[in-house]
Amino acid sequence: MGTLKPPTLPTRTHILKAPLLHSTFNPQLHTLFNRCITLSSTISCKLRTSQDVKKKKDNVSKKIVFSDSSPPSLKNDEVSGEVESKSGVIGLVKRLPRRVLAALSNLPLAIGEMAAIAALMALGTAIEQGEAPDFYFQKYPEDNPVFGFFTWRWILTLGFDHMFSSPIFLGLLVMMGLSLMACTYTTQIPLVKVARRWSFLHSAEAIRKQEFSDTLPRASIQDLGVILMGAGYEVFLKGPSLYAFKGLVGRFAPIGVHLAMLLIMAGGTLSATGSFRGSVTVPQGLNFVVGDVLGPNGFLSTSTDAFSTEVHVNKFYMDYYDSGEVKQFHSDLSLFDIGGKEVMRKTISVNDPLRYGGITIYQTDWSFSALQVLKNDEGPFNLAMAPLKVNGDKKLFGTFLPLGDVNSPNVKGISMLARDLQSIVIYDQEGKFTGVRRPNSKLPIDIDGTKIVIVDAIGSTGLDLKTDPGVPIVYAGFGALMLTTCISFLSHTQIWALQDGTSVIIGGKTNRAKAEFPDDMNRLLDRVPELVESSLSKQSDGISG
Amino acid sequence: MIFSTLERILTHISFSVVSIGITIYLITFLVDEIIGLYASSERGMTATAFCLTGLLITRWVYSRHFPLSDLYESLIFLSWSFSIIHKIFDFKNNQNHLSAITAPSAFFTQGFATSGFLTKMHQSRILVPALQVQWLMMHVSMMVLGYAALLCGSLLSTALLVITFRKVIGLFLKRKNFVNVNGSFCFSEIQYMNEKKNVFLNSFSARNYYRSQVIQQLDRWSYRIISLGFIFLTTGILSGAVWANEAWGSYWNWDPKETWAFITWTIFGIYLHTRTNTKWEGVNSAIVASMGFFIIWICYFGVNLLGIGLHSYGSFN
Repeated sequence: MGTLKPPTLPTRTHILKAPLLHSTFNPQLHTLFNRCITLSSTISCKLRTSQDVKKKKDNVSKKIVFSDSSPPSLKNDEVSGEVESKSGVIGLVKRLPRRVLAALSNLPLAIGEMAAIAALMALGTAIEQGEAPDFYFQKYPEDNPVFGFFTWRWILTLGFDHMFSSPIFLGLLVMMGLSLMACTYTTQIPLVKVARRWSFLHSAEAIRKQEFSDTLPRASIQDLGVILMGAGYEVFLKGPSLYAFKGLVGRFAPIGVHLAMLLIMAGGTLSATGSFRGSVTVPQGLNFVVGDVLGPNGFLSTSTDAFSTEVHVNKFYMDYYDSGEVKQFHSDLSLFDIGGKEVMRKTISVNDPLRYGGITIYQTDWSFSALQVLKNDEGPFNLAMAPLKVNGDKKLFGTFLPLGDVNSPNVKGISMLARDLQSIVIYDQEGKFTGVRRPNSKLPIDIDGTKIVIVDAIGSTGLDLKTDPGVPIVYAGFGALMLTTCISFLSHTQIWALQDGTSVIIGGKTNRAKAEFPDDMNRLLDRVPELVESSLSKQSDGISG
Repeated sequence: MIFSTLERILTHISFSVVSIGITIYLITFLVDEIIGLYASSERGMTATAFCLTGLLITRWVYSRHFPLSDLYESLIFLSWSFSIIHKIFDFKNNQNHLSAITAPSAFFTQGFATSGFLTKMHQSRILVPALQVQWLMMHVSMMVLGYAALLCGSLLSTALLVITFRKVIGLFLKRKNFVNVNGSFCFSEIQYMNEKKNVFLNSFSARNYYRSQVIQQLDRWSYRIISLGFIFLTTGILSGAVWANEAWGSYWNWDPKETWAFITWTIFGIYLHTRTNTKWEGVNSAIVASMGFFIIWICYFGVNLLGIGLHSYGSFN
């Protein structure tokens, strides 16, 4: 039957599906689909319309095509959200967990939860957090409510003054977590099971029903297979049928996203309940014990041996730009264990914390502790610096050196002001500007006969300390989330093809990249070589013979 | 000095090229499809992309830090991201609706960044200690790229909504007109009218078909680009969290900017979930994405406008 088909073959063939014949004579199909005991075969024959009659002879070779009864029925295996109600109390009790699961994995519920969380977070940024009740009494008075109803009563009753730890918000997060779990269990995993089950399509009609379908008039399915393989597809070829898929991992990835979210939530919970925090301002040269600074955050917080570590601030200093602005803060810290042995020494700075035994020490703040001065070559005296005005990041510190009789009611003296550890501005008794001196410049300044030398400026470092057992879990979640989100971008593409005489019918679908898919497919199909006549006849021989 | 001159030159070139490009776009869109003009506007976008790249590199070289430390720089970067997205998708396939979104977006952000409103921010400033780390590059570039992609996607969705609603309105108006016209003609002309009606209906259904095609395309492209933006946003937020754990002592502080980034993430998460249900594809998911558009702007500008929280680097002062 090696006759050539005319190129004007209509692409649409009419197929009569008649599941009458129960055939058992196709062993290949049986090994493949062993769950079908009786294959309902379809007799596909062309409806003889007037213009088709003349081509009747050519189509004899493929008149009877056995195919799987239907395109793979994906829907059957999906666990549907609905649970059939069965009478009987036992049945009800048995079904209750499933019912709860089904309710939780409900997509509109999940979307509602996400929207509610987003709305509460927005509200949490709109309402000032962590203020005293008086603040809310004034800002949201009862006689002039915001939007006509929103008063301080709402805020304080619902706990919106500490939104991100309020029971409503945390409850929603818990609900979200439960929904994530339920959805993963009842919807996502079954979907993957279905997606993994691949099958050939044996009817041209089923292939044409796909989102993308095309017919190559003179092509061989082997060439198509090779080209698809080159494009990264897994290709399965059996007789005249081809099945290829790509990006199956894109189907798994959303499960990973959900699990990663759960991991992050678990880590966050551990962080919230099991961590210690504390901050301390230590003048240079002094020391403190870690355990004295750290305070427990939640009921799971347990102290460790490392809490007895003593931290000594060897040095605190700042780097400056040429313009005089602060570039970086540094604290040189030494850690001593309980026996007084130095176990670690590190210079920390912003972005470069110290980690020891689960404790992390951050450089977060600074302050001006004291000014060391020589007065008429006496001393040195340590003058404590007091913060004068803290306006944003601009800090100002000042101190006062009394001159003359200290016990008189209106004592006069020298005022010294500083914005940083770099330069000290000095004013005389009348409050007039006298000069600027740098510490350790050793340059004396003379104020009404009093010689002042600024020996050193002693800063104190502001440190934050914490232990957080949740961080490794959260980081694992972050890594997983990043990876799985990226993988989720991949689209699961499935392609079926069928050699039909000399033409190849191709159909395919994809779950995400629907926009690019037709273009990509066309680009691939353009590369399928067209068969010339000699090889064509051989090809058809092979198929029909 | 030479750097600032170079920077100024590049700024002006990119802005003027973009505005010329937009004009050409409008001409081809409103008047007629002239292929030569279209190609030249494409060339204009290429030139813009190069100019912006040059601008960013110049700034990087002379300020010695990655040019993403304040609002002006991030706007320039946003504009650059738009032009890059434009180029990438233009490279991938010629016929798409994305270019109609990205080019004006690049134009407007560039215009806003170079407008007088932000002139005093053009001076590059020194970095506060917390920003002097490589995380800045990772975190901010990912965030801004994410914003750019999500903005494109949500604008496509908005376009979808506009087209859908115009279709509904248009249908309504046409029916009304048709009835009126039909009633006013006398009986003898019915034959003629029927013929006319057939012609009219044919052309109408063809247009309907074209419209639904456009809507489907918009829907698919916005889904694709929002998915891409979602990856960037996730990476940006997570890298920010890791950075915060290094610098501020906690990976999550409920800082306003953080919270709004998370809200944005949640909204686009909702969008991606609406896509899993075939019933909600199209208009419903487009509504979510359009909401996302406003939320991105609140996240990007609104929080900086207030200048609150730990992310005060990018505020207007």
